[in-house]
Amino acid sequence: MSGTVNETMTPSLLERRGATRQLEGQITGCAIARDSGQVAFVTGEGDIMVASRPDWGRSDAWDVTTVHDGAILAIAPDAASTGFLTGGDDNALRRVAADGSVTDLVKGRRWIEHITTWCNDKGGVIAFASGRQVELRDASGQTTLKVLEHPSTVSGIVFDAKGKRIAASHYNGASMWFVQAKVDTVRPLEWKGSHIGIAIHPAGEALVTSMQESELHGWRLSDGHNMRMSGYPSKVQSMAFTRNGKWLVTSGADTIVMWPFFGGGPMGKPPAEAGGIPGVMCTRIACHPVHDIVAAGFADGSVLMADTGAQRILPVCLAGGGAVSALAFSPDGCALAFGTEDGRAGVVDLSAR
Amino acid sequence: MSDTVQASPDAAAQNALVPVTVLTGFLGAGKTTLLNHILTAQHGRKYAVVVNEFGELGVDNDLVVDADEEVFEMNNGCICCTVRGDLIRILGNLMKRRAKFDGIIVETTGLADPAPVAQTFFVDEDVRGKTRLDAVVTVVDAYNVIQTLEESPEAVNQIAFADVIILNKTDLVDEVALATIESRIRSINAVARLHRAQRGDVPLSDVLDQGGFDLQRALEHAPHFLEDTSHSHEADVTSMSFEVEEPLDAAHFQAWIGALLQEKGADILRAKGILNYAGEDRRFAFQAVHMMADGDFIGPWKAGEEPVSRLVFIGRNLNRPQLRRGFESCRAK
Repeated sequence: MSGTVNETMTPSLLERRGATRQLEGQITGCAIARDSGQVAFVTGEGDIMVASRPDWGRSDAWDVTTVHDGAILAIAPDAASTGFLTGGDDNALRRVAADGSVTDLVKGRRWIEHITTWCNDKGGVIAFASGRQVELRDASGQTTLKVLEHPSTVSGIVFDAKGKRIAASHYNGASMWFVQAKVDTVRPLEWKGSHIGIAIHPAGEALVTSMQESELHGWRLSDGHNMRMSGYPSKVQSMAFTRNGKWLVTSGADTIVMWPFFGGGPMGKPPAEAGGIPGVMCTRIACHPVHDIVAAGFADGSVLMADTGAQRILPVCLAGGGAVSALAFSPDGCALAFGTEDGRAGVVDLSAR
Repeated sequence: MSDTVQASPDAAAQNALVPVTVLTGFLGAGKTTLLNHILTAQHGRKYAVVVNEFGELGVDNDLVVDADEEVFEMNNGCICCTVRGDLIRILGNLMKRRAKFDGIIVETTGLADPAPVAQTFFVDEDVRGKTRLDAVVTVVDAYNVIQTLEESPEAVNQIAFADVIILNKTDLVDEVALATIESRIRSINAVARLHRAQRGDVPLSDVLDQGGFDLQRALEHAPHFLEDTSHSHEADVTSMSFEVEEPLDAAHFQAWIGALLQEKGADILRAKGILNYAGEDRRFAFQAVHMMADGDFIGPWKAGEEPVSRLVFIGRNLNRPQLRRGFESCRAK
């Protein structure tokens, strides 16, 4: 990787190894299928755009279809090796298969705002949040396993790495549930205020929520000990643990903020900063699944990658247009996808050539 | 509107934001009737409507969102800072399909305190970045209002918070009673625009595009109502307005109002002002909801206009001499 952001003479990574396309409406999310074969972007206009791997460099071949009547609020890779699940403000949950066919899974009474899936060789689980409820379904999406009720609207859901537990954030804390329990008993994790997003440590050591007051709250899961991570100039919209659980990487400042989850941290430890753009807010982050690399998107539309070990930064896409509103690495680490509030969608091929 | 200043960059930035109209009013006052009247009128504009689950009547619109009125308390040191978290979420999601509508109307339940809704527009950076609170419109049932005000502090708050008051069902009351009702409403909120209506039949120009910051005209008329303190007792919600003819010291004013709201914010429901800061040729518009305050320059004083600073408080237990002395102490030296 190169050492500085200011290499305007050399073409950006996007120009050398990527492609972009302009869509109508805001890009509200992106996801990459579990087999890393397809990238999907969804929009505020109800469209999905799918780029298959052979076409990552040719954006005119990306396929756009309308799948929701209204904004698409959530997208996740399906609990199978291919395909996607989308949720919208038309109260519907739909499956978009690899061949482009669309299936209705749910038509409810509330917006479907969050979807997450988990799977291994033996099977998978689909979870989605709608109002105060989190519903779990089997991998087919046809059978409801359970419906979990919460005290207020659910603002985020996450499976632990083994798929044994699911956690949901809401007012005054978070709730943890066992996926396979015969009788559902909640583990309440309480902290006063409005929690607006959630992440879980890959080894299950901690659960972290983002709060309305521009700070993070965490619970050590072994003993429920509270952690506070504050000092942000704006709300944290995006956060993720690195693959080994060493760092919690977040948006919400004009640098990439990384809280250490080792050596006794994050309690009493200052966060590290992995580079940024002075005066420009980081809006989205994503952690690489294989290497010690994070990607960050900014309010000016720029995207960069940074090494969590060394202070090295690689620009992916230079400033221009709306804020980055979607960002994801493929599971095999060979692609980075991003989208912006003004409808620009891009894929960068990171595979060795 | 003729008296907004289109040319100033601040005004341009304000116009880029999606206007949000908050519709409050007691159960049976005619909120939903007014809402349907707005939505079916021929204005060529599209509105997204956020309604509460327990709405009295159906709402006739393409884009209707059910809200749960989920209120939470901010951990920001303000003892009375409650916020509608559900509204933050809903407005954020609606902004993802920004091209589909021209404005947003939020209807609250009859018993709702308007403070959390109004405070939401002060507190959340994303809401502030993309929308602006155009006006709080309160629908009042002329036939029942006097009794409702006696029985319900929420109804008093709804009138206190209003930028616009629609006095509905005026056909059920005679002119003498209407005069009494209007005087009672004015004793609570002297600066809101007050319109009479039957079955919600008000011109849309009385309800929409009110421009929350454009207070000048209302404030100019306020003092005439306000010097009459004959029938107000201490615990009632009243309006008080103040004027200072000399330019103000901006830092002094900020320090004074900040300390005042911190101390008395629980009693001060709303504060609004148009201010003349020394060394500044533009007007400064100030507004506050309980302890939350903000302000912005809104363009120059008009030719021939006296640059008088005006400030209005609507609240309980207001101490007129103390407020006057405080405001006057902000004069630039």
